Amino acid sequence: MTQTTVLLLGAVGVLGVGLYGLLRLRNLIQIIVALQILAKAAVLALVVAGKASGHVNLGQSLAVTVIVADTVIAVVGLALAVQVRRRLGTLDVKALATLRG
Amino acid sequence: MVIPAFIWLIWLPLLGAPLVYLVGRLLSGWLARWTALLLLLAAWLPFAATWQAFARHETVAYSLGQVTLQVDGVSLLITAVILTLTPLIVLYSAHTLDGADGSEKYNAMLLAMGGSMIGLSCATDLFNLWLWFEATAVTSYLLVVFYHQQPASLEAGVKYLVQSVVGSVLVLFGVALVLAQSGTLSLTALRQQATPSPLLLAACALFAVGFGVKIALVPLHTWLPDAHAQAPSGISALLSGIVIETGLVALLRAMAALTAVTHTWGLLLLMLGAVNMLVGNLLALPQTQVKRLLAFSSISHIGYMLTGLGIAVTSGEVLGAQGGFFHLLTHGLMKGLAFLAAGALLYGLHTAVNDHTPLTIAELSGSGWRYPLVAVALTLALLGLGGIPPLAGFMSKWQILLAGMGSQQPVLMGFVAFAALNSVLSLAYYAPMVQMVFRREMSAVVQNGRSLPLTMNLPILLLALAIVTIGLWPGLVTRLTQGAGTALLSVIGNQ
Repeated sequence: MTQTTVLLLGAVGVLGVGLYGLLRLRNLIQIIVALQILAKAAVLALVVAGKASGHVNLGQSLAVTVIVADTVIAVVGLALAVQVRRRLGTLDVKALATLRG
Repeated sequence: MVIPAFIWLIWLPLLGAPLVYLVGRLLSGWLARWTALLLLLAAWLPFAATWQAFARHETVAYSLGQVTLQVDGVSLLITAVILTLTPLIVLYSAHTLDGADGSEKYNAMLLAMGGSMIGLSCATDLFNLWLWFEATAVTSYLLVVFYHQQPASLEAGVKYLVQSVVGSVLVLFGVALVLAQSGTLSLTALRQQATPSPLLLAACALFAVGFGVKIALVPLHTWLPDAHAQAPSGISALLSGIVIETGLVALLRAMAALTAVTHTWGLLLLMLGAVNMLVGNLLALPQTQVKRLLAFSSISHIGYMLTGLGIAVTSGEVLGAQGGFFHLLTHGLMKGLAFLAAGALLYGLHTAVNDHTPLTIAELSGSGWRYPLVAVALTLALLGLGGIPPLAGFMSKWQILLAGMGSQQPVLMGFVAFAALNSVLSLAYYAPMVQMVFRREMSAVVQNGRSLPLTMNLPILLLALAIVTIGLWPGLVTRLTQGAGTALLSVIGNQ
């Protein structure tokens, strides 16, 4: 196995951790952390991809851009969490399952 | 280097967004609204210039460092729909926003969303495609939860955010795989270089699933009915009318660049389209809430577009792509109108009397006699969506049907026959709504309903006229749809 394969598999592993967290967790803040872990898997994959293809600069600049973009997502997510806590008095996502069908 | 006119199509709304916010915050909401409206109308000028340059077969592109934005037929079509719907929605929302909490953010976000969608349609590399899509998505999360006092909106927003972020992470992972394998992200370069390999095949799958979440491919559609039904009505119109369609364009662009990797993706589009049509229609049938029903019908309409585009990709039939893009255009107008009309009724019957529950179909009973204009417009939109001639929706579905039949391939003919049957099935939920609107006996809420302001009626009237006009003279938009169809076929190269 080449170094790239190992690193890419590592990124897939991180992706798996994030997805497992999403399915398992019930607290909205924890879910946002899981989303961040997912995004970090993609960042890792981009850096590895840049190195593997010989475009180190490209890979790293894409990674930095993604970090900015997913910070924005985290901010929006946390703002939502604040509102949920304020209106529903809980962060449990079970309280957010009223729309059906 | 001279900055080409089309850059202003992106800059005007994007730079306008903070301006509109500041004006709304510091001066008055009224002024902010007119600023937003003026900026959007002014954007038609660069559009006209771009259109002319495009008609002269010039390459309309702008490069900044390694990033290139380029206009093609698809971008022009998307831009035209955005520039038609957004100003109407600014006008439409004016009355409902008065005094609403955070109303200064609404128009600013609307502009930012429009600008980033136009940017998306001009992107020429995979990463830019992703980035513009994220910008659109972030603004749409915020707009979906505009009524953040209501728990249902928060719930819709959380579901939308979580599912959409997972989708975009998968797309990004796909981008990384493409970069690792081929060392380039430019769509043109990929088209020439990409060769079949397991990594690129995995990237294709990631794009299909990732963008699939954004365009609500069944079974990744569960966020859509919540988000589109809970958003403010003007936003629902935009989300259903154009946001999911730009996701479709992003998917097409990404997959088209990797055509060499998998020749069967046309068939995949057709099959996903068929599932979307059937499931969307079946789920819409038992709905009792007006906006939720319309949201489910968007899922099935994505299916029709996929059918048209799938025909084009499989058989190289330009008519299929043209039909798919024509349906994108007519669906944008019809679904936009349907949501605006339903939203106007929701406003007149519920919101204006301080009732924040969703509007049900039973409550529409007799509303046609109280709100004739809105009711006629809603009827036109619903019958158009159901594909009744001579409305716009019939014309676009007909073109897809012709393309499928014209290909002379049994598989494609089967798929369009299925689409036609689904179109008939969809009338099973459109028609009862129309019948309910024109019933003799008025429901209690209709009797207590408030009158609607002119700013709500005017956009509804304009969109209704547009649907009838396009239905009677479909030739008016042929150059737009033809340009988009040709652009798609030129990138996949007739195999």
